[in-house]
Amino acid sequence: MTQTDMTKLDKIFNNNPQSPGSLITVLQDIQREFRYLPREALEKTAEILNVPLSKVYSASTFYAVFSLKPRGEKIVRVCKGTACHIKGADIILEQLESGLGIKAGETTKDLKYTIELVNCVGACALAPVMLVNEKYYGNVRCDRVMKLVEKD
Amino acid sequence: MVNITINGKVVRATEGEMLLDVIRREGINIPTLCQHDALEPAGNCRLCMVEITRTEWDGWKKYVTSCLYPVEEGLIVSTHTSELHEIRKTILDLLLANSPHSDVLQKMAEEYGLHKTSYEPNLEGDNCIMCYACTRICEVLGKSAISPVMRGHEKVIAPPFGEEPPDCIGCLACAHICPTNVITWTDENLTRTIWKKKFELIACEKCGKATISRDFAEYLIEKRGLPKEYFNTCDDCKRVELAQKMGALVDKAKEVAL
Ligand code: FES
Ligand code: FES
Repeated sequence: MTQTDMTKLDKIFNNNPQSPGSLITVLQDIQREFRYLPREALEKTAEILNVPLSKVYSASTFYAVFSLKPRGEKIVRVCKGTACHIKGADIILEQLESGLGIKAGETTKDLKYTIELVNCVGACALAPVMLVNEKYYGNVRCDRVMKLVEKD
Repeated sequence: MVNITINGKVVRATEGEMLLDVIRREGINIPTLCQHDALEPAGNCRLCMVEITRTEWDGWKKYVTSCLYPVEEGLIVSTHTSELHEIRKTILDLLLANSPHSDVLQKMAEEYGLHKTSYEPNLEGDNCIMCYACTRICEVLGKSAISPVMRGHEKVIAPPFGEEPPDCIGCLACAHICPTNVITWTDENLTRTIWKKKFELIACEKCGKATISRDFAEYLIEKRGLPKEYFNTCDDCKRVELAQKMGALVDKAKEVAL
């Protein structure tokens, strides 16, 4: 981690009560700031919050929002829930994987895109659904997939 | 004190005490895997299930994990009904499906007339039943070197980052407490390996036999205030030494008496 990363990390620790109870909020802040949980940050968290490293690691691997590997600027989530599955989520995923040259769960080398799978985002009426970061796209057509991803 | 009924017999128990403890005190045997006296009850294996009811429940009854159920006045408990037999059998069937190679589970299942799982067996299963006895005891010892990692069917018990656990002191508590003997270690000459981490074992000053790991001894000296010399000799030599001392005392007493 660079010096600026360290400063960012310190800021996160200073914004939270430095006790075991802050574990999840601190991890969320780190995830937001770095888009993943760098190992050194986890080690530092254990030390500052006085939580065993094993527990920090356990929480980091338990929640789907946390990632131990760097994630892309744009997280593209493809819904693979029942409704979306029936409405062709597979084809959308295919388009995406070939368009970005990575598989689900992977991140492009330039750290721009990550593909993730989710199981129902609660918008089944709009199936098939795809998310780019926080933005939802419903009734996605396979020929539009890459356009939506590259938008903005 | 409260009065409860277990299998038709009125039994006295301390309020708040766990049902399983009372049942065992009565000499009744029910299977358990995740319970251990050194641990807080966790209710992870579900095998200790019993049936409870109360007169005012009007025939209504429910099934609870006895290791986690504090006794209260008027409880009516059954430990061996045909429904309970089925429940325990199903639990063992499921555990066995995920750990078909576990001899411990096989033996327990046999007692319920189950020779092999009726589900699709997970042949790659590693016999871990996720009872967390290991991580719990490690926490009790003040170390928490290992923990559950990942979630759902991917979950395993492992050290952080899958590497040598920095907090492990090689005490073997996790390996000894594991009900299905999943956690393995090796002792070779004076080197112990567990969780891929190597530890130096202290050799007994008298007989040279390997005793406990140096890290564990140091931890006990620091945390439990045990004297340093305590770890110089092994248990056997300590016993011999004590016997010799006592023998000398007896001789002396004889001399005085004469
Ligand atoms: S299945 Fe995709 S939103 Fe429900
Ligand atoms: S002993 Fe009660 S659930 Fe395992």
